Amino acid sequence: MYGKGLRALSISTVVAMALALALVFFYAPLEAEQGFLQKIFYLHVPLAIVALCGFVLGGLLAIQHLRTREARWDMRSYVVIHMSLIFGVATLITGSIWAKGSWGHWWVWSEPTLVSFLIVFLLYATYQPLRFAIEDPERQSRYASVFAVTAGAFVPMNFIAVRLSTAYLHPRVLGSSSNLPGPMKLTFMVSLLAIALLFATLCKYELTAKHTRQQVRQLRRRLAGDGDAAPRRGRSAVPSLQGVTAMSAPSSGRTGL
Amino acid sequence: MVALVLGDTPALPLHTAGKYVAAAYIVVFAIVLIYVAVMAIRLSHIERDLGELLELSERDEPAPDAAAIAAPEPESVLP
Repeated sequence: MYGKGLRALSISTVVAMALALALVFFYAPLEAEQGFLQKIFYLHVPLAIVALCGFVLGGLLAIQHLRTREARWDMRSYVVIHMSLIFGVATLITGSIWAKGSWGHWWVWSEPTLVSFLIVFLLYATYQPLRFAIEDPERQSRYASVFAVTAGAFVPMNFIAVRLSTAYLHPRVLGSSSNLPGPMKLTFMVSLLAIALLFATLCKYELTAKHTRQQVRQLRRRLAGDGDAAPRRGRSAVPSLQGVTAMSAPSSGRTGL
Repeated sequence: MVALVLGDTPALPLHTAGKYVAAAYIVVFAIVLIYVAVMAIRLSHIERDLGELLELSERDEPAPDAAAIAAPEPESVLP
């Protein structure tokens, strides 16, 4: 079941978040150039890394869906991309706040890091409308998987392109995490772990909720006496786990999509 | 203690930088809070649906006494 291990994961997330916040505000030293403002780095950068990794993971899960045609992989890909979009919103907002404090502007169009992340975000913002536009569940899941794979391949290419660009206007507090002094590096790593755990926990919550809801719907149909009938499904962007064997566990839930 | 923790004077004064840092952390906290609230609403819907299904299953299930009365007894029809 999707809910297995959710409690342990939730507790780990809370502990990691508390530890990360304590390290950020009481352990990590102040950066010489930006001072206290640099504390946003421990939130903004892990959010961006986790969001981008989530987009890539969504593509990998979509490959698995295209290989096996099992609906559960499509659902996982959908949830991971959905969550990455939420983390992407948080990245853009915290980045704008940092830019305002650092440069005096909410947004700088000449900065490649900001603009490239916005492009990736806007690309994935079309994922949900794409799904919603296709009514047939089979076609919807197939097209969405192809989109997720293509866009997932675009993310690392975009990252490399930005790294190769010559303009370094972004407030690179430190060039990369390998250049960070010990306490800052430790704080950054713990923050990254905490945000990654938060991402995993929220994804698991979402998957559990969606699976439970679909099981309840299936149960309702069975009690109504049309359990063998095809599920009546309105237009929706959410993938369906229901099909031939909808009430089975997700691990054995091949649905014939 | 605060001076020890914060060290040297930051590039931006603390009262200026502090509001940006606070805003960034509050925004992320608010996003997570909104997400948890949405999950709570969904959970309440599932709970309501399960309650309805429980009622439906209890209504459809015949009472044991009534079933016993309705069922014919084979021995009684024999001469």
